[in-house]
Amino acid sequence: MEKESNFVSAVLYLHNAEETARGFLECVCGVLARHFLKYEVVCVNDASDDRTAAEVREFAAEHPGAPVTILHMSYFQGRELAMNAGMDLAIGDFVFEFDVPECDFDPELIFGVYQRALEGYDIVGAHAEGRTRASSGLFYAVYNRFSGSPYKLTTESFRVLSRRAINRVHSMTKTIPFRKAVYANCGLKLDSLPYRPTRECAKDRQDNAFRRGLAVDSLMLFTDIAYKFAFGMTLLMILATVFVAVYAIAVFLTGAPVEGWTTTMLFLAFCFFGVFAVLTIVLKYMTLLIDLTFKKAKYTFESIEKLSR
Amino acid sequence: MIEKVKNRGKGLLCVKTDKIVIGAGLYGLYAALLCGRRGESVTVLEYDDAPFKRATYINQARVHMGYHYPRSYSTAIKSAGYFRRFNEDYGFCVHTKFDQVYATSAAFSWTNAEQFRRFCRAADIRCDDVAPSKYFQSGMCDGAFLTEEYTYDAQILKAYFLEKIAELPHVRIVYGARIERLYRDGGDWCVRLADGEMRAPFVLNATYASSNQVLNKAEDGGFEPFGIKYELCEIILCDVSESLKDTGITVMDGPFFSIMPFGKTGLHSLTSVTFTPHVTSYDTLPTFECQKRSEGFCSAAALGNCNDCPAKPESAWPYMSNLARKYLKEEYGFSYRGSLFSMKPILKASEIDDSRPTVIRVHTQSPTLVSVLSGKINTVYDLDNILRGEE
Repeated sequence: MEKESNFVSAVLYLHNAEETARGFLECVCGVLARHFLKYEVVCVNDASDDRTAAEVREFAAEHPGAPVTILHMSYFQGRELAMNAGMDLAIGDFVFEFDVPECDFDPELIFGVYQRALEGYDIVGAHAEGRTRASSGLFYAVYNRFSGSPYKLTTESFRVLSRRAINRVHSMTKTIPFRKAVYANCGLKLDSLPYRPTRECAKDRQDNAFRRGLAVDSLMLFTDIAYKFAFGMTLLMILATVFVAVYAIAVFLTGAPVEGWTTTMLFLAFCFFGVFAVLTIVLKYMTLLIDLTFKKAKYTFESIEKLSR
Repeated sequence: MIEKVKNRGKGLLCVKTDKIVIGAGLYGLYAALLCGRRGESVTVLEYDDAPFKRATYINQARVHMGYHYPRSYSTAIKSAGYFRRFNEDYGFCVHTKFDQVYATSAAFSWTNAEQFRRFCRAADIRCDDVAPSKYFQSGMCDGAFLTEEYTYDAQILKAYFLEKIAELPHVRIVYGARIERLYRDGGDWCVRLADGEMRAPFVLNATYASSNQVLNKAEDGGFEPFGIKYELCEIILCDVSESLKDTGITVMDGPFFSIMPFGKTGLHSLTSVTFTPHVTSYDTLPTFECQKRSEGFCSAAALGNCNDCPAKPESAWPYMSNLARKYLKEEYGFSYRGSLFSMKPILKASEIDDSRPTVIRVHTQSPTLVSVLSGKINTVYDLDNILRGEE
């Protein structure tokens, strides 16, 4: 079989994955070694407090030919930042991102998404068919409804990116709080291949909590859901104040209100109208400020450990 | 002057000179020429069949100005001081007509653009901002600087030293020297070779990667070895596109790369922090797995020349070239010409601050045994004091 001459990198996210790390490396390295002349594997160790790093070192010791590097993060920084760090370190023409060290797919699918990428898709993912948690499902439903992006996001197990896509993403923004969203908005062609999962995956507690926070952040940052909600509420309240004003005038003309009531009500209605109008403008400013804060500091790493080549 | 005496009973020819220099690299030949010009007789013992076949030739060929050491002011300032002197003395072998660009990577750098600027100001070395977008892919580097740094041509330098030494009849270079042991005898150090013996009241060990190996042969290894680790390094020589011809680019300070003119050869050298070192040995004497496959060419007791070794590693070109391409814009093209391999000792103490001090160790006095270990070409002047001390 003719091997691919493109240099590929695989970036693996590992957080307390001592049970799965080794098997997953076997799976990934096996496929890459079968299909590619040259490759590298970057294991991002997100401050694991178990034997994850040791497992990777043992794997490297057993496979002297496997080019494995461990990137040790200084403290737990979550999947997104850690994977960004790994992506920055990878040097491949094509880079695979493995967010979860679970090989619940046919390993050949890894090569499959790469081949799909060669057909002209800069970013190709693989997602498990019919396996979405309710919370993830809700998140993606809300996200896709409000993001305004032509590509609909799903829970992806892994994906491959071309160097062109990585360069594009780099030139768009300095920090990448939620990769998938930035990828979907980078303006290049995307695709995702479905597959039937071969088994169930275990989930990581600390990471779960982290992802809930990330979900909220992402909805705020990448969709206009918050802005739309606030804008809607403000409009509603402006309408209410206008109604109160009309009501006050009607009472003044038809009945005989207590002296001063009408002027008080009109004054209040006008003031609240002003307050809500100003709030709308403030909200607009806030959304602009979020964009600017994107350019602030990113991740912190501790060391890079090259195991072999 | 040179005396020839028969070694007691052994029948071996014994040559006595004022000084013995072990290693015909730049440090060795510099010492030989300096002493020879003062009228001293010198024997230079070289393992290979010619001088300058290892570290003096096989490195990035930088005449360091200090830019490389943004975390060690002392190393930087000293480099800058010797820079001028080296260019005055050996200007004929120095290539100066190119733009030397230093850049700080946006990710994984231990030094950012602002820190680099501040460092250059403090060390008083040139550092002019250029737009990173001129050379690099968007977002890859946060600063790029035009600097003053040159490259020397080891082959031209070698020709110069050989020519000058040839004019001195009392300075002799012995090639293919196989040292068996060193021992003191009266007021001399004796160097026993496989086919003879040399003696002198002063021995300079200028063997760089073999420093500990030579020390280990002296009086049954009674001297403290250098605290060094060993890296088998690869320098890749490249043909480059027109736009890169007169430009050298170094991305620092972390797991990055450098592609810059290689002396006056017209080629560029490509190196990277992560991929240039192939294997590392932390042993006192350089012990590598490949020595077993070298068919007796190389051992922990005596290093062969990695560049000629049958067991030299496979080139890391795919890795280094990909790393460089990830940073550089497409118009800066380069292609593979060949690889050079050599052994590089690194002082263990210099890992944190990345300093590269010259270490001079006087093991014994009258007779004198001195070792010198330095990773830079222009700090060769550090030898002056120790050689002058003998007058």
